[in-house]
Amino acid sequence: MIEPNPRQPLALRAAWITPLGELLAPPRIAATAIRMVIQIFLVVYLWHGLYSHTSTNSGLDRGQAVTFAVLAVLITRIRGLDRFAGRDTVFQHLAYGTIVYWFLRPLAPRRYYVLRALGDQAYGFAWVVVGYAACLASGVIEPPASGTAAAACAASLLLGQAVLYELTLLTDLMCFWTMHNDSAVQMIQFAQNLLSGAYAPLWYFPAWFITMSSFLPFQSTLNTPLSLYIGRIPVRQAPGDLLFQTAWVVALALISRLLWGRASRRVAVQGG
Amino acid sequence: MRSADEAHGEGIVVRGLTKVFYTTVRRPGFAGAVRSLIAPQRAAKTVVRDVSFDVARGELLALLGPNGAGKSTTIKMLTGILTPTRGAVMVAGMNPHLDRKRNARNIGAVFGQRTQLWWDLPAKESFTILRSIYGVPAERHRARLAELDRLLELSEFWQTRVRHLSLGQRVRCDLAAALLHDPAIVFLDEPTIGMDVVVKEQVRGLLRHEVEQRGRAVLLTTHDMTEVERLAERVVLINHGRIVLDGTLEEVRREFGGTWRIRATIADSALSASSPSSQAVRARDLPSGLELLSQDRTELVFAPAAATGYTPAITVPEALRAVVDRYPIVGISIEETDLEDAMRAAYLRQGVATAEPEPETGPGQDAGQVVS
Repeated sequence: MIEPNPRQPLALRAAWITPLGELLAPPRIAATAIRMVIQIFLVVYLWHGLYSHTSTNSGLDRGQAVTFAVLAVLITRIRGLDRFAGRDTVFQHLAYGTIVYWFLRPLAPRRYYVLRALGDQAYGFAWVVVGYAACLASGVIEPPASGTAAAACAASLLLGQAVLYELTLLTDLMCFWTMHNDSAVQMIQFAQNLLSGAYAPLWYFPAWFITMSSFLPFQSTLNTPLSLYIGRIPVRQAPGDLLFQTAWVVALALISRLLWGRASRRVAVQGG
Repeated sequence: MRSADEAHGEGIVVRGLTKVFYTTVRRPGFAGAVRSLIAPQRAAKTVVRDVSFDVARGELLALLGPNGAGKSTTIKMLTGILTPTRGAVMVAGMNPHLDRKRNARNIGAVFGQRTQLWWDLPAKESFTILRSIYGVPAERHRARLAELDRLLELSEFWQTRVRHLSLGQRVRCDLAAALLHDPAIVFLDEPTIGMDVVVKEQVRGLLRHEVEQRGRAVLLTTHDMTEVERLAERVVLINHGRIVLDGTLEEVRREFGGTWRIRATIADSALSASSPSSQAVRARDLPSGLELLSQDRTELVFAPAAATGYTPAITVPEALRAVVDRYPIVGISIEETDLEDAMRAAYLRQGVATAEPEPETGPGQDAGQVVS
């Protein structure tokens, strides 16, 4: 029996799997870059057009609105990696029966999943940094409202990514019971885009809609950090929002922990 | 048979292993669907029933049986993926489902064409990731990889992304991935399915090496009888979840195929209305101690009738004499029964003997599991 060698960079190696797959496929990188540029171009012209006859709307001026929309495009790239092409989604592993190998290694499936997600998010974050620097340098977006706002935005963004991770994990874990999660993924993605502010900042929606979404975890992922960045949420409100995000992370983490335990007791493989 | 304690820490020890799956029975029609939703009806299916066997270190055991016999479910319990309903399992001295993580260091597994390699990465990159996961020291990894490369010629294609590998190349890489961390126990569930004869022979060479030189305990399931003949010293035959035979290949042949068969060609003129072979040879017309395996117009194939124990009910000279005396023979030959025929006979005979009505109702444990 081989004892584990602590010097092996297991975390790094596991986290590096998806980024390495991307780097070995230059067409995918080119496609991501082109898609991002086109999306930003469209978003900038759309919001400039919408603000052509007004200077302020729903508490946002043109600069804030454009900055919010462009950053939303960039940040959705953090979890934008598509593992489907690499036959590496939980749904595919269950469908092809390869999920058994997750349970045959001396690395808990839960830990493996976390490491892979961290790698994916770090890779996505590299795209965000490049895109952000380019947009800021070219004057497409504005700098943060203040240094404190930038720090609050960073903390909020981190918590928002944790919320998003947990939501994605829950839809993946669902596959252990349903064998499919297509509908759930579509619903979550739509809810995520609508209620997080990816389609449009939540400030433009009716008050009841904003109130409703405030009870859900989705706005934690985009609306809260970006509103802090542009100054639409005052920094003095940040502690309360960060606490709210933390509560969602803890609640979702408890649920996912419970489900992981149950999922590992019912590894079913289609076709024997 | 040794007790679990005696075999502790060695190979695989299985005692009274049983697995029952509980599923929801869907009632027909709309009303049935609604009723099933409100008051689901559960059905129990025993997929593995009181199975016991050992596999020692340095031994390759073939676990054989028809599709749906319970082979894969047995392997999944031995690897710790599934929890047994009853019975005891020790794999290299550990209870696999209770100590899944520690057990993982002792075992390697290949499940048919299901790959554990990362689809978008070169195969060699997958080996490096597995090295990190298993914590194999770099020097040991290099030596082991070189050895596996020598046996499987991996370096010709290991820089290729897995998605671009042929089936044979991929399965060779999967075998290497399962063996890289030097496991004491190896589970191979139909590893050579769909592979060409050259690759199959290469894989057989590897398995012989791993068993004889490395002293691994290998549990192999396969439908390829050539593979069984070339690799297995002992087989466990399983059908309907039960062990039908645990013994050598010779015992399988003696028990289920006879060791020979007689192929006789009768004269065309014998095919008259009054002849016993006019339509088909009837049971009462058969020489005593023989059974008719097949009839293709004038060609009859006989084998010794099933007998209790491993001794055929009739000898070859007696059988020849009986056939010649009974039919107008124009040609006759004796053939050795091959293993595939013996297995076919075993599956058919035991399938009839052991089939039992299911289901029985039971608790809601494991509901919805997909049974292999």
